[in-house]
Amino acid sequence: MVETIIFVLMGLAAIAGAITVVMARNPVYSAIGLLGTLFAVAVLYVLQLAHFVAAVQVIVYAGAVLTLFLFVIMLIGVDKEENREENLRFQRPVVGVLAGVIVVMAAALTAFGDFDWVPASGAVIPEVTNGTIQAVAEPLFTDWVLAFEATALLLTIAAAGAIALAHYRRRESTDG
Amino acid sequence: MLVNQFLILAAALFSLGVYGLLVRRNIVLILLSVELMLNAVNINLVAFESMIRSADATGQIFTIFIITVAAAEVGIGLAIVLMIFRNRRSADVSDLNLMRW
Amino acid sequence: MTWEIDYLALAPELVIVVTLLVVLALDLFLTRPNKYWTATAAVAGTALAAIPLVILAVEGENVSMFEGSYVVDEFALVLKGLFVVSAYLVLLLSHHYIESERFYQGEYYFLLLASVLGSLVMASARDLIILFIGLELTTGPLFLLAGWRKGDAKSNEASVKYFILGVLSTAILLWGMSMLYGLTGEITFAGLATATAGLADEPAMIVAVLFVIVGFAFKISAAPFHFWAPDTYEGAPTPVTAYLSVNSKAAGFVAFLLVMYLALPELSEIWAPALWILAAASMTLGNLSALRQSNIVRLLAYSSIAQAGFMLVPFAAAAVAGTNIEEGFSATVIYLVIYALMNVGAFATVIAGANRTATGDIDGWAGLGKIDARLGVLIGIFFFSLAGIPPLAGWFAKFAMFRAVILAGGTATVVLAVIAAVNAVIALYYYARVIKAVWLDDAPAEVPARAETPPSVSLRLALLISAALTIVIGFFPAIATFVGDASRIIAAGG
Repeated sequence: MVETIIFVLMGLAAIAGAITVVMARNPVYSAIGLLGTLFAVAVLYVLQLAHFVAAVQVIVYAGAVLTLFLFVIMLIGVDKEENREENLRFQRPVVGVLAGVIVVMAAALTAFGDFDWVPASGAVIPEVTNGTIQAVAEPLFTDWVLAFEATALLLTIAAAGAIALAHYRRRESTDG
Repeated sequence: MLVNQFLILAAALFSLGVYGLLVRRNIVLILLSVELMLNAVNINLVAFESMIRSADATGQIFTIFIITVAAAEVGIGLAIVLMIFRNRRSADVSDLNLMRW
Repeated sequence: MTWEIDYLALAPELVIVVTLLVVLALDLFLTRPNKYWTATAAVAGTALAAIPLVILAVEGENVSMFEGSYVVDEFALVLKGLFVVSAYLVLLLSHHYIESERFYQGEYYFLLLASVLGSLVMASARDLIILFIGLELTTGPLFLLAGWRKGDAKSNEASVKYFILGVLSTAILLWGMSMLYGLTGEITFAGLATATAGLADEPAMIVAVLFVIVGFAFKISAAPFHFWAPDTYEGAPTPVTAYLSVNSKAAGFVAFLLVMYLALPELSEIWAPALWILAAASMTLGNLSALRQSNIVRLLAYSSIAQAGFMLVPFAAAAVAGTNIEEGFSATVIYLVIYALMNVGAFATVIAGANRTATGDIDGWAGLGKIDARLGVLIGIFFFSLAGIPPLAGWFAKFAMFRAVILAGGTATVVLAVIAAVNAVIALYYYARVIKAVWLDDAPAEVPARAETPPSVSLRLALLISAALTIVIGFFPAIATFVGDASRIIAAGG
């Protein structure tokens, strides 16, 4: 019962944040909306016993990534109202209908779909160990060590490439 | 546990992300919408994981990888935004129609 | 839990990692006139990566690591060989181009090698997580490289379009993968293959598979998810375009085929019709759009969309018919390998031709063959090969494709074969148009000013190697058949 209440509250918070992201006129509000969604989703992770993922979500996503977003939004100017004139007049309603259809479809699938594959888990009392740092770290550094190293390289690429791309010299052609 | 409800929530977030991606003009906002979609995927994976409870927490591992990759992609995307902003003082994709969108 | 790491099996990847770190470090210490050493290091490192590949191929032992998530077998080795060779050729193409336009050099090679590493990882990936990481490692650097001509508006646009569509397709793909995991509890291909049996009627499964297909269709720019490709190809620096249309496309294709063939064989009634549609639409839309192009790079962009359609034909046809699926898979892989080699050559001629005439318009190339006969002959070789004229390599790709289709049989298959045949004729028309401009049209009254520098040694080497491969495979298709056999082994061993 408590779970259901937390789910409903946090689910609504996540949706409200998401709506802010896609609707807000000011980009800063959009970023703050995403922050709300990320926190609500982190609570949902805890509800699902994914404690470590919840911590990563808050530290990496809400902490680092969103700060980066806000930084760039400030840098390119918040006072610039987005140009909301449509080149294609009917685009927005069409997209709205499309997104609505996806929601309805997904809801129908999940609510009425044949979901018997689920091993009856409702009655099982979850083990507390699942989702702790130990439980996640052990496979991460054994089975997935290759993927782990690859993501390390991916972050290096992002850093080095981003500097190369965003860096401008005063006179493009003289030094290097 | 509640699994179907989580899937519906994830579907809603994913759809909102798709909507934002198609409607918003500012590249930064498009990126934010993509983050919504990736979060929806993560909710899916964590919910499934709590149901399946595989031996080595595969769903949660997948989620951690997605978060990491998303961080890298944001870095790349914002570098592109800055590059464009320097060239044309705007981060609006509808300005980018040299070659037809 | 065994997690012994076989470092010899990982050696090609490790060589590339060391090379890219060396390149990045070198770039720090070298002054501007000496930056070309970064290029030299990159080319040398890529060539070195071929050595462990050969050793592994000679040993011929299948290595399986990380609980079957990472497999080095003959199929993986053949594809890694293809990725290394085509990366080597693209590096040769890049050398002069990057230096002459005053780009950042060190980071360029660093990013390109990182992308190569991603494609090597993908060839060995046998589970969804490693496949996803490999895919990101392949495309991530390319988002940046597409915008490498920083001051150029078209290049900026290329980068933005590629990036937005790239992250969108990643999100869609991941959604599908998460549903696959939820429905089966499995993440390895082998596990998925058994766990998906009998789930073909599950509505959630149908949605999951369709999301995966759409995600991959964006990545390989199959119609109707291709619209980003021509703009990105035109705006990106030409060597990057060559890499996009050859290496990254091939890598995406391999990932797509592996997932369908190894992980979801039980669900072929869901994905086979979707692949059929993708193949037919890509061929038709790609070719019809290519007819109208006046820019050579855009022409090649649409041509590569159409070629992607041809590549899908044998696999889709066999899957729809439900027979001889091994044959279809190996024909698709043969087509992929031959396409990659000849398309690199075509882009090399584009760079050489643009260098010679200072234009990328097909009309601007009028009479090029009379001004520079050697280049004209090379253009003839690669474009006729793309069109599938014997005895160049392209004919064998088309031959393998049609043979697999005929072996498959069935009405839907015949329809697809007819569409493919009609499209092959349309393709011949626009490829021949380029050759006509080069050889038959009169040169403009004033001969275009010769570019200051003659084509560099590395460009000539790239042209020579790809032309040699195109001709040799055309005359000795047994080489390509070997590739097909390797992919049949994966079918058995999977």
